[in-house]
Amino acid sequence: MNPIFEIARMTFADAIRNKIFYGAFAFLIILFFTAAALASVTMGRTELMISDLGLGAVSILGNLMAVIITIQSLQQERESRALYVLITRLQQRWKYLAGKLIGLSAVLGLQVIFMCAILALCIAFFGQIYWQSFFQACIATIFEIWIVIAVALLFSQTSSLFLAILLTLSVDIAGRFTFTIRQLGEQSDNPALQLITQAMYYLLPNLESVNLRNQAGYIPSYEWSEFIQILSYSCSEIFLIFALCCIIFNRKNLA
Amino acid sequence: MNPLIDVQDLTLSIPTGHIFQGSKNILHDISFQIQAGGSTAYLGANGAGKTSTFRVLCGLIKKDKGKVFFDGKEMLNGLPPKRFGFMPEQPYFYKNLSPLELLTGLGKLSGIHASTLKKNIYTWAERLNFVSVLNQRLSTCSKGQVQRVGLAQALIHQPDFILLDEPLSGLDPIGRSYVRNVIQDEIKRGATVLFSSHILSDAEAICNQVVILKDGHNVFSGDIKQLLSSKHRWLIKVEWPILPTMLTSDSVDIHSHMDGTSDIRGASLEIRNTLIQQILADPRATLLAVEAEQRTLEQAFVDFLQVKVDKS
Repeated sequence: MNPIFEIARMTFADAIRNKIFYGAFAFLIILFFTAAALASVTMGRTELMISDLGLGAVSILGNLMAVIITIQSLQQERESRALYVLITRLQQRWKYLAGKLIGLSAVLGLQVIFMCAILALCIAFFGQIYWQSFFQACIATIFEIWIVIAVALLFSQTSSLFLAILLTLSVDIAGRFTFTIRQLGEQSDNPALQLITQAMYYLLPNLESVNLRNQAGYIPSYEWSEFIQILSYSCSEIFLIFALCCIIFNRKNLA
Repeated sequence: MNPLIDVQDLTLSIPTGHIFQGSKNILHDISFQIQAGGSTAYLGANGAGKTSTFRVLCGLIKKDKGKVFFDGKEMLNGLPPKRFGFMPEQPYFYKNLSPLELLTGLGKLSGIHASTLKKNIYTWAERLNFVSVLNQRLSTCSKGQVQRVGLAQALIHQPDFILLDEPLSGLDPIGRSYVRNVIQDEIKRGATVLFSSHILSDAEAICNQVVILKDGHNVFSGDIKQLLSSKHRWLIKVEWPILPTMLTSDSVDIHSHMDGTSDIRGASLEIRNTLIQQILADPRATLLAVEAEQRTLEQAFVDFLQVKVDKS
């Protein structure tokens, strides 16, 4: 079997049993019940409130899980020396990272699918659900989380556990405001600030453009061409970040 | 005959972690050869550079200078994965996987066919006595059991060259005997073993070659027989109420017993002869025995660590 998929399989089996997931599901269930309780005091369109709150919660939780699980998994593998026995079995180091990326993406993708399925049932119970737009929003959320995994993978190669979490979360948050950052620079007369904001706009992954959650409860479907474009952008971001990560990892001393 | 492993002038420095202090040299021109089919103990005090050498051989760390040859071919990025097995020091692997899942995954990565892999895993689990925990999560296994799983993963693909970093640490006497037997069986199979250990009695029982490091310098590399016979030691058993002052020197070891007798050990023949003359000349002293003693690996190791290394 391909070594990449074997590493992905081991990563998946290890990460899926992480207790951190139970806490996430408990939090989600509490959130849904809270939404339901709030819905009982709102005037009509209860399902819209649940959809907005629920998808937001799925995204926040998914992103947090992506950062913590990815960085923790890589750090633990290094500390437990599992990394050494894996690397010494591979001809090329990048295969290890590819396996980690696929394994972690599968775990977190599955987690989002599970949470979205519960959310969809909840929305359908309280009112009407636009299945197609909801499905598209969920898929886009998964791709957004995969970008965050790639960023976490990158920072875990260059910094310590705490710093990697901090940097990844910073990129995650800043990535949602890239347009605002660019506009801020354009409004300024300071050329240095303009240059910095321009650089940030092009360097940071634009996570807001991958966000389809805001309209999921309101429109039946997104344009498929727009949807494909969003997924293509996500894939190219993941590829670029992963390539950079491989270059760093290849040169790194695993002491 | 070409050696299986030939390390030439291996030099390694690592960053100190402080921006203004640069890097620190941890291996200085290390050279040694390992012949195929034997077992070599790689010895040194803590921080001598044993683990770093192993990591360079595995391709985990890039060396500054020097060459590593495996079976006559220069290795630029570590040893060939299919032909060597590596067990890192005190591994604890994936805590949420069972030994069976871990060994299955690593076995597949080593290219073992699925049809033989499961049989191999059970064979190794029986040989290293961890069958009872094969389906248990690694987080619930004891340190010794994880250590044995670590050894099994290094051997499961029947490599030509086996690199073991402290394979005996953290094991009880029974566990150590399992590991010792397995290493000896692997040597009989035709594998070449390089291992580091602080348990020198076990190392002495297993190895036929020794490399000793001190502060990143190679202070000895060769046959264990040559090492142990390079300095003959002697033992004098004597009943001597007041030991002479010359015996307080660092060149002899004295062990006094409750019955008034003393064991005096040393390496210098000159001191031995002077001592015998003094005993015979002193009417209060009774010479009980004079014996030749072979050094143990531990004594030889301690002697080598006392050698001053010329760092220039």
